[in-house]
Amino acid sequence: MGVKKHPASTNQESSMIWEKYLDAYYERSKSTLTWSGLEVKEVYTPDDLPKEKYQTDISDPGDYPFTRGIHRNMFRGRYWTRREVIGMGSPQDTHDRLKLLVDEGGSGLNTIADIPYEMGLDADHPWAQNEVGLTGVCITDLNDMETLTAGIPLDKVSWSLITASTAASVTMAQYAAVAKKRGYDLKDLRGSVQNDPVHFRYCGFKPACPLDLSIKLGADVIEFCTNQMPLWYYTTVNLYDLREQGLTAPQEVAFGFLIARLYVDEMIRRGYAIDMFAPRFTFYVSCHMDFFEEIAKIRAARRIWARLMKEHYGAKQPASQKFRFAVHTAGCSLVPQQPLNNIVRIAYQAMAAVLGGVQSLHCCSYNEPVCLPTENGHTQALRTQQILAYETGVTNVADPLGGSYYIENLTDQLEDAIYKVIDEVEQVGGMYEAIRTEWLDRKFEKEALSRQKELDERDKIVVGVNMFATPMEEKTPFGVQRIPSKSARMQIESVTRNKKRRDALVWKERILALKEAAMEKKNVIPYMIEATYAGATTGEMMGAVRLAMGYSYDPLNILEAPF
Amino acid sequence: MKRDKKIRVVVSKVGLDGHDRGAKVISSLLREAGMEVIYLGMYQMPSDIIKAAIDEDADVIGVSYLSGEHLIYTPQIVDEMKKANLDHVLFVAGGVIPVEDISTLKKMGVDEVFVAGSLTEPIVKFVKDNVRV
Amino acid sequence: MEAKEWALKVRRGDRKAASKLISAIENKEKIARNVLKLLFYGTGKAVSLGITGPAGVGKSCLVSCLITAFRKKGKTVGVIAVDPSSPFTGGAFLGDRVRMMSHTRDDGVYMRSMATRGYLGGLARSTLDTMRVLEAMGKQVVMVETVGTGQDEIEIAQIVQTCLLVLTPDMGDDIQAMKSGIMEIGNIIVLNKTDLPGKEKALLDLETALRFRSPAEEGWSTPIVSTSASKGEGIEELMNEIEKHQAYLRTGEGLSKFAFKRAEKEGAVLLKDEIERAIFHGLKGTGLRRRYLEKIAGGEIDPYSAVEEVLSRFIKDSPQESIRPLNQKKAGG
Repeated sequence: MGVKKHPASTNQESSMIWEKYLDAYYERSKSTLTWSGLEVKEVYTPDDLPKEKYQTDISDPGDYPFTRGIHRNMFRGRYWTRREVIGMGSPQDTHDRLKLLVDEGGSGLNTIADIPYEMGLDADHPWAQNEVGLTGVCITDLNDMETLTAGIPLDKVSWSLITASTAASVTMAQYAAVAKKRGYDLKDLRGSVQNDPVHFRYCGFKPACPLDLSIKLGADVIEFCTNQMPLWYYTTVNLYDLREQGLTAPQEVAFGFLIARLYVDEMIRRGYAIDMFAPRFTFYVSCHMDFFEEIAKIRAARRIWARLMKEHYGAKQPASQKFRFAVHTAGCSLVPQQPLNNIVRIAYQAMAAVLGGVQSLHCCSYNEPVCLPTENGHTQALRTQQILAYETGVTNVADPLGGSYYIENLTDQLEDAIYKVIDEVEQVGGMYEAIRTEWLDRKFEKEALSRQKELDERDKIVVGVNMFATPMEEKTPFGVQRIPSKSARMQIESVTRNKKRRDALVWKERILALKEAAMEKKNVIPYMIEATYAGATTGEMMGAVRLAMGYSYDPLNILEAPF
Repeated sequence: MKRDKKIRVVVSKVGLDGHDRGAKVISSLLREAGMEVIYLGMYQMPSDIIKAAIDEDADVIGVSYLSGEHLIYTPQIVDEMKKANLDHVLFVAGGVIPVEDISTLKKMGVDEVFVAGSLTEPIVKFVKDNVRV
Repeated sequence: MEAKEWALKVRRGDRKAASKLISAIENKEKIARNVLKLLFYGTGKAVSLGITGPAGVGKSCLVSCLITAFRKKGKTVGVIAVDPSSPFTGGAFLGDRVRMMSHTRDDGVYMRSMATRGYLGGLARSTLDTMRVLEAMGKQVVMVETVGTGQDEIEIAQIVQTCLLVLTPDMGDDIQAMKSGIMEIGNIIVLNKTDLPGKEKALLDLETALRFRSPAEEGWSTPIVSTSASKGEGIEELMNEIEKHQAYLRTGEGLSKFAFKRAEKEGAVLLKDEIERAIFHGLKGTGLRRRYLEKIAGGEIDPYSAVEEVLSRFIKDSPQESIRPLNQKKAGG
């Protein structure tokens, strides 16, 4: 393995290190702030928790405002879905990895798009060729999607397609196309598509996600699924990625909810009643290092969403009011120094997620800061979840921390802090304005800088980085995941071949029909499905819609439209 | 009159990778250390970076890699630097890079690698100590 | 490299040579001056544009559109983008270039980012010289984009032929309250981001403001052009106005007036710099500067007398009388 032997291998050296640790512990002033900067007391007592609060703000799990959880019996009813995010190399490579995980006990399938796919580029785009399959899977045509899903009973699995950008519309269309072709009824399909293009502009995909296009395509997917795929979760509003930029917990929820509202408002504008589509809104949330703050954040988010749906939008169904979410443990909290420490961090974060009442959990692989997960890394992440689920007993009771004087108080504090951030955005003219004027961009930059400064000045401690640092390991424990370059080449060849083989007349007709539908402000998904059958590629379909909305065919302005 | 020589740093990302948090943060930190940072942003090809380095008379080229593309693009960047006679320019890389690859990158021609989670001081010190002005 | 060889390389369009020269200028290296002397002849003919305005109005985006437009007409372009240096750290974030990256691959375009390096005018001290370098390199159009902090808009008007003042509709009442000087120096006012609400009111406010200020140039009424640079709208109209202004300068004495103004600026700045440099160079190592500063701080001597004492070491006559060249007879009796 080549893991460097730790210098303290004698008892004497070990106790010296322990002394050092104690000294460091006692000399530091105990923190009186949470990670996000909220003030906390030394101890909380019954005085901090007035009795009336239970009825109005807390309630039982499964009851409005769902502070304690969206189901009465939470994990006794059903364990959270264990999903590990997969996606690398060609559709074939990804497919093979999927099979491995299903055999190991994973109960849901999860695939992530690579950067070219998210940008809406084909695998043979001149800029994509270097990067196809590096951080996910690239689906260019029907053939690719067929390869990815081959032999998997689509009506018996729950498939989470992680395409966040405007290309999520294409992903939805491609998946539906394959399913229909294999004879499935769309109504029976279970799963989700991330589909949160608005937030994705902040993850480095600005050219692919202009604001108006993002809202339109985001809503098109929501609309299509509402009408044709009732078991599908058509958006996972991604608070996690926002948090990864360096935001605080209140900002994560506030900005995330405001983005969600952009889609909700658009659907309402299209004439849909809130109860028609709200029940299938889901969220993707981070779980960071401050254990109790993250739990409180989740509880506060449930309360706020419930109130928003009921009081602001007039939702009547409890299903519309429930904040359904998946957790991704915080990648940005992991560091490459002393990588095995990350397993511990991830375990704490996973526990926070479970105590917070998560519906679906993804644990990072401990070598996340250096590369994509290796098989060992993947498996370790799964084991972390399994130990949590089967050994620790935390799943026996719903919302076990409910009623804790601290937790309830902290939940309230988080709630206040979140509303404060929402107000801030209202002050600059609302979320659309905040995004359009790049107010939000500047906020992200400011927060990212603050996080680095905190690290430099030891306002926040990261073990192994600014405290208890040791010389850099010489090898990554359990190896580094490398993408075989052969896979990319093969995929590019296949894509090029398919472009030549397709019926050019039918293809052109369908692509132009798609473009026209976009110009007429129709829902483009059905047109994308038809175009996919004719061999249209991701880049061509995205390009057609972009042109219709007044943007360049190619987000990178390199290719011209071939039609 | 004070010496006006400033260290000019071109900071860029290469290829399709759009994660710019690190690049923006390092730009601010270098600025606070008294350097002039020319921020190129995203979607640059190696030739673009070198072009900018020439026109801006950069002393340092800093590239942030966050999607595993470092082994692909680094040789291209070093090659372009050689072609343009920019051997005197410091080449620093950072981001999501496995520790095994650090020596590989250095052999390719990178002067130093700062992985994610690095503190600011060593980065600034390295640049100030090693820049060939 | 010798000054002669250097100048030759620049004239031949050697980018590296030009880029190194600009650095030498910024770093106040002696050789830079010698090269500049050689490059001076023949310059002064390029079209020079200034683009200024408050932060966030979209100057860089607009500049990028103008570059495209000029390139379509077959003109080569040089751009200087100025950003402020931090007064505390001396560093700078030069982020204008990122909005013009589409032009990196065009060899006909040369872009240079500059920090003000403590110069308070909003321009970099080296901007003027750099403009000459770009022109000597062969650039037919030279654009200077500056930081719009309020003071500098005036400075830039003195060194470019056509100055564009860029504003946006959401400046609202600020337009009314704007310092009068600003409105006077824009040869063309550009209302950018016209996809924003408030365009009509902004236009009205601008027209009103223009009516009440005295025309900076006779025979030229300042037009207001609406643009949306991010969408590429209004650029054609803007180019027309630029051409019109250039033509206006060429008929009448506009160009020569401008050249004179520029010479004034260049000469005056240079003179002031040289005197300052010479005096401080002379004081170097004597400890006098520190001593006098301590005396002033301690209240032992007033600043005026202190300066007189210092100057008297360099100049024969006291500052109270006029300083005249040493070989001229005294006027009067």
